[in-house]
Amino acid sequence: MKRGGLVLFSIMGLLLAWGVLEFPGLGDPSSPASSHLSPYYIQHSLTDTAVPNMVTAVLADYRGYDTMFETIVIFTAAIVCIFLLRTFKPPASRYRMYRHMATGITLRIEKGGKTPDDSEHFERIDSVWVPHDLVIRTTCRMVIPFIQVFALYVIAHGHHSPGGGFQGGVILGASVVLFAVCFDLRRTIRYLGEKMCALLCALGVLIYAGTGILCMGLQSNFLDYSALAGLFGTDPVMARSHGILIVEIGVGMAVMAVMVMLYYNLASAGRHDEGL
Amino acid sequence: MDLIITLMLVFGLVFFLGGSLGIIRFPDFYSRLHPAGKLDTGGLVITMTAFAVYTVQPLTMASVITSIKILLIIFFVFITSPTAIHSIVDAGVRAGLEPWEKKGGTGT
Repeated sequence: MKRGGLVLFSIMGLLLAWGVLEFPGLGDPSSPASSHLSPYYIQHSLTDTAVPNMVTAVLADYRGYDTMFETIVIFTAAIVCIFLLRTFKPPASRYRMYRHMATGITLRIEKGGKTPDDSEHFERIDSVWVPHDLVIRTTCRMVIPFIQVFALYVIAHGHHSPGGGFQGGVILGASVVLFAVCFDLRRTIRYLGEKMCALLCALGVLIYAGTGILCMGLQSNFLDYSALAGLFGTDPVMARSHGILIVEIGVGMAVMAVMVMLYYNLASAGRHDEGL
Repeated sequence: MDLIITLMLVFGLVFFLGGSLGIIRFPDFYSRLHPAGKLDTGGLVITMTAFAVYTVQPLTMASVITSIKILLIIFFVFITSPTAIHSIVDAGVRAGLEPWEKKGGTGT
């Protein structure tokens, strides 16, 4: 089985390398991409889509189909991570740890002992070491809102400046990861649960694909946003700009949820308790 | 004005140089984090301030806004960089890493 996989892998790799030999040279000015495609994008992207940032126009409009599958690849990464790592039945540990919230004292209760689960003054923690540091918490509390606002800015402002759904989604996910690092994973999961993450992830892809299907429903090509002009009440050029924004929001949601889910599963080896 | 900016840039680069030398030359984890946190933050604040001053030279609305953005970067780096170093030191202490002591001396 392993040997067969290796042979198959080698054959595919050789085929890929053979295909690459047929490519035009890197930066070749007479290649079709440089002689036809790039000049078209450079000359027409602003008049076609009303998006000043050419990269965003190419990414989400001219090559929207490609970007949709990039989003699906990220979605698949999250699914694979869940299937490979998530363990739903953690091995029962011999003791439980609780922290008295007011004083920060940690209690270790052996199996069979009386646990303060229903008390408001204790919270359950997982490992011996849970970061409990005032400086780090205060800084994170102060910085995280700015990170999130900046992430939303990056998503929404991808038309005019470097940015877009992927970058903004990663920043948004990083803010949640930062929260999980400086507080604890159990609390983060209480705020943004696993189901919510999976839902957001699927919803992001659905928004992207749904926009394309909506365009088909309005008697146009898949992901041809100019068909949405009637819905937005604008001209077709502006509708393409708005369509890019909707798609970017979908990408941002999916990427954010995937980042958070990858962190949950990797940091705790799939047990969703305090790892690291 | 250009003179001040150049002086600030050179001063910041001196900070960076000292920081990088310190990261290489200091004997252990904790003392290496000291130049990493202090000198890098200091150097970054000085050089970025020089950029902010350089940007407002033709005093227009756009340049002032760009300068304010640079000042915001300074503000956030000034807060987050020492916190990051603090948490790394904290993790080192909690993981049980002993501070370096001079051999044969009286210790810390």
